[in-house]
Amino acid sequence: MSDEKPEAEKPETVEQETSGETSEKPKSEPPAAAKSEPPKAASEPPPASKKSEPAPAKKSEPPRAAADGHGHAHDDHAHGDSHDHGLAHTTPVWLLFAILGALLVLTVATVAVTSIDLGAQGNLVVAMIIATVKAALVCTFFMHLLWDKKFNLVLFLTSVLFLILFLSMATTDRGEYQHLVDEYRAQQLQTK
Amino acid sequence: MSEPSTATEGATKASAPPPAAHDHDHGHDDHGHGDAHHEDAIHAANPHLAHHFDTPQQQFDAGKLGIWLFLLTEVLFFAGLFCAYTVYRSMHPEVFVYAHYFLDTKLGALNTCVLLISSLTAAWAVRNAQLAEKGKLMLNIVITIGCACTFMCVKYVEYSHKYHDGLLPGHNFQPKEQIWELDSFRHKHPEAAEYAEKLAKLDEKKNEKAPAAGAAAAKGEEHEEKMERPTEEELEPLIAAGLVGPRSLDPSAHISRPRMAHVFFGIYFFMTGLHGFHVLIGIGVWVWMLLKAMKGQFGPNYFGPIDFTALYWHLVDLIWIYLFPLLYLIH
Repeated sequence: MSDEKPEAEKPETVEQETSGETSEKPKSEPPAAAKSEPPKAASEPPPASKKSEPAPAKKSEPPRAAADGHGHAHDDHAHGDSHDHGLAHTTPVWLLFAILGALLVLTVATVAVTSIDLGAQGNLVVAMIIATVKAALVCTFFMHLLWDKKFNLVLFLTSVLFLILFLSMATTDRGEYQHLVDEYRAQQLQTK
Repeated sequence: MSEPSTATEGATKASAPPPAAHDHDHGHDDHGHGDAHHEDAIHAANPHLAHHFDTPQQQFDAGKLGIWLFLLTEVLFFAGLFCAYTVYRSMHPEVFVYAHYFLDTKLGALNTCVLLISSLTAAWAVRNAQLAEKGKLMLNIVITIGCACTFMCVKYVEYSHKYHDGLLPGHNFQPKEQIWELDSFRHKHPEAAEYAEKLAKLDEKKNEKAPAAGAAAAKGEEHEEKMERPTEEELEPLIAAGLVGPRSLDPSAHISRPRMAHVFFGIYFFMTGLHGFHVLIGIGVWVWMLLKAMKGQFGPNYFGPIDFTALYWHLVDLIWIYLFPLLYLIH
């Protein structure tokens, strides 16, 4: 659930802090890092407040980041859900199995629906709707797009948009020469 | 990326402070080199953090953006083939109806399930990597590879069937079986299959009576022995599949196959072939990931490679989700 903003700011904040602080108390840094990490991660306010009052945040930042970068990730996601672990969302196992179950059910459904006559294009439309639902499930949960940065979602949707544009442009004039082909065939058959 | 020891994440974390402290002793102190100093500490704690990244988070996000950009190009890559499919199917629906009887829906459905299961294990592997569950991670990768190999084996069975039955693109399209002889057609349209056989016998007789040249003359005689008018159940499926009527290969014959049926197999082999090629590459990358996992490289701060491989794998799955109904489930 992390936004673009806090992450993008991260490197800057780290730089500021360190350049200001290292000269003052260099030796105490690594030990402090290990000790201060767990409580800080829990009590750290969301990034927004850090921005407004940079002074207190400065002191806590470098050691935590120095420790292993783990805590660093925590405050990015502090406003997110409890599944956050490290650099990105961790999907619970039950959810993975639920999605697989849904996908398998939809696969059976799409095979079963083939034997029912739904009109000339009806079967194709239904099959494509089912496929799209399956694709959406895979993207949203297996591919983490639900919890991922929205920019990645935008990127992916852009490619889908261009795919749709491409297909619809190509289909709009697909039959343009068909009557010429048919007439030619008819002539050929007559002359035979 | 990882010259330092390939110990587990836990071990790395534990050993983090000493190297950092060591750096301090050398001290670039006083003169504002704090930046480099601080980064050294982060890098010392994260052996898999490449030197050009500041933090593991930055490295992960950059990698993720990269893989998504790649997936975007992949979608557009396949778009060309989907476009060919769409245009050709909209213009020659009879070819698709005809050709799909040659495809084995059961094998297609089996492959769909196999890929879906491998998608689950891939997504699970990402979770394992995040939580540094080395054993489960390796197991899930192995299952994913196993599913991928199963998929390729089924593909091999399908391809070799098509090869032996002469179902190949272009001039190599020489079907050994007529579709009314296929079980898939017989089950669906029993009356039409029977009627088609009668028509085929008529054509045989015609060819016996008038070999090559006098085909037109023979047509007159036949009219006498023509059977009663076909019912709709008998005729409809044959027209839909382009076996009779103006769109058939030889409209002067009683029954033949649709013109240009080989184009379907061109599209079929290109789409499934390119997809299968992606599966092969996926197997290679998963093996590489398995080797990395065996060295215990993955943990909360370094699971990008697993995540990115899984994303690629899901995309391969996504493409199959569309290919399956488009190629196998034509009504």
